[in-house]
Amino acid sequence: MAAFPIISNFQYDFVLQLVPVDTENTMDEVAAAAAHHSIGRRVAAQPDKVLRVRKQGADDFFPRDMKVADSGLEATETIDIIFADE
Amino acid sequence: MAMIERTEWYDLLRATNWTPKYVTEDELFPEEMSGHRDIPIEDWETYDEPYKVTYPEYVETQREKDAGAYSVKAALARDKFLDRADPGWISILQAHYGALALAEYGAIVGEARMARFSKAPGNRNMATFGMMDETRHAQLQLFFPHANCKLDRKWDWAQKALHTNEWAALAGRHFFEDIIHSRDAISMGIMLTFAFETGFTNMQFLGLAADAAEAGDHTFSSLISSIQTDESRHAQQGGPMVKLLVEKGKKADAQRLIDIAFWRSWKLFSVLTGPMMDYYTPMEYRSQSFKEFMEEWIVGQFERSILDLGLDKPWYWDEFLRSLDETHHGMHLGVWYWRPTVWWNPRAGVNPDEREWLEEKYPGWNDTFGKCWDVIIDNLVNDKVELTLPETLPLVCNMSNIPIVGAPGNGWNVKDYPLKYKDRLYHFGSEPDRWCFEQEPERYADHLSFVDRFLAGMIEPADLSGALKYMGLAPGEIGEDAYGLAWADIYKEMAHKKVS
Repeated sequence: MAAFPIISNFQYDFVLQLVPVDTENTMDEVAAAAAHHSIGRRVAAQPDKVLRVRKQGADDFFPRDMKVADSGLEATETIDIIFADE
Repeated sequence: MAMIERTEWYDLLRATNWTPKYVTEDELFPEEMSGHRDIPIEDWETYDEPYKVTYPEYVETQREKDAGAYSVKAALARDKFLDRADPGWISILQAHYGALALAEYGAIVGEARMARFSKAPGNRNMATFGMMDETRHAQLQLFFPHANCKLDRKWDWAQKALHTNEWAALAGRHFFEDIIHSRDAISMGIMLTFAFETGFTNMQFLGLAADAAEAGDHTFSSLISSIQTDESRHAQQGGPMVKLLVEKGKKADAQRLIDIAFWRSWKLFSVLTGPMMDYYTPMEYRSQSFKEFMEEWIVGQFERSILDLGLDKPWYWDEFLRSLDETHHGMHLGVWYWRPTVWWNPRAGVNPDEREWLEEKYPGWNDTFGKCWDVIIDNLVNDKVELTLPETLPLVCNMSNIPIVGAPGNGWNVKDYPLKYKDRLYHFGSEPDRWCFEQEPERYADHLSFVDRFLAGMIEPADLSGALKYMGLAPGEIGEDAYGLAWADIYKEMAHKKVS
């Protein structure tokens, strides 16, 4: 349980943002934390989609239930948050 | 008494080098301050400034200019233009003075370094006048806004801004300290006078003067065009430096300095001048778009002057041209959304007519930036103002110290340009920003951006109130929407009509 800063590159938003999460958070929780600062502020919600997380530019998403502590992410590393079908 | 023509004695007058007897030449002109690059002093003596003036001419001309600028101000004081000016125009003035007044003062120091340490007598001579020019600019741009302090605390930021840790002030200081205050006289001459002054200041001081005249702000228009006449003279100092460096086989050195200073200047202008021209200036006063002004002054004129001096276009030129359609829109959206963190009141500039203008000048704007504004407008129509204000920090670039932005919506291309240097992760807003850092990492490595400071616990409490306190922004100074969000009323009416 430790505070962990990540940088959110939220799909369709215009700017990178600092999002504080926790090392015990799952990727779903990280996506939700990032969404708070983008969806409904500058990005329209897409209720039929799921938010997935990947390292910036990576091909594959992290598993939704993977914890930050197990992801290999470094503090302030930039992650893309993407609207996906699943 | 008949006077000899200036052309007959000018070259003699400025030949002020001598052979030192009591110290060595190196002691008189240490490389760290002088930047002579082991080019022989005889070669520095061939430096020829294009724009020449003598002291009596200088005094007479400058006196006339000041009489003009101050008398226009005095004459128009009764007109009380500011009482009826568009709030967006007021914001332009407050942002301009805050960002620039003390930077002009800083430029005095840069000119002074050339006046003392350049091996080129012509350069020392012109830099002495340059010092006086920048003194004038600092004084004018403190004196003019000072009269307005009685109207509103934000006018006091003309003097205050660059003493604070407000994020745009941090960005300004990082830039000016890099190109003026921490370099030898020649490097500084190339970066400040050639890259920044001949390149970009025409945008702010002539492009904006045109808009000011349209807006009826003749005090400001006459002030900044008067300032720019001085600039045209002292900005000429860098060109002959570049010419000499190229002749002496140091083209790569000159090229690198210009490539760094040009990109850094561009980023500063994207956050300051871009929003002013395309969003804060009421539409009917916009002579040209920001991109059009940039194409005229920078792409047209400056590009030509680089090539004339035997240099190449900066390596990132294509990326620079591409970003003219994009970067400043993101900077504007960021400054508006994070408006409590600036010392002026940002004007949104996105009513339906304005969005049409933006689409015309920047095809695709509605499909990208417009998509973000759609969500913001929707929130304002539904009285959800809290969603139009931030709850976290944007990531700022470790070079420019301004937000890392890109195109949103259907053209989404936002990207971090990270770099690991000595176990620390840095973030940059573009490839050229990262490249600037890589040219001399130790120059920049210890600097903490606003976000770095936040993460290091330097901002207490670690929330907006702590950030505002850290930035020196008090009530009355904290930015708000220029119209108090009244511009959204037109969208409320449209929504109401749709429903009924």
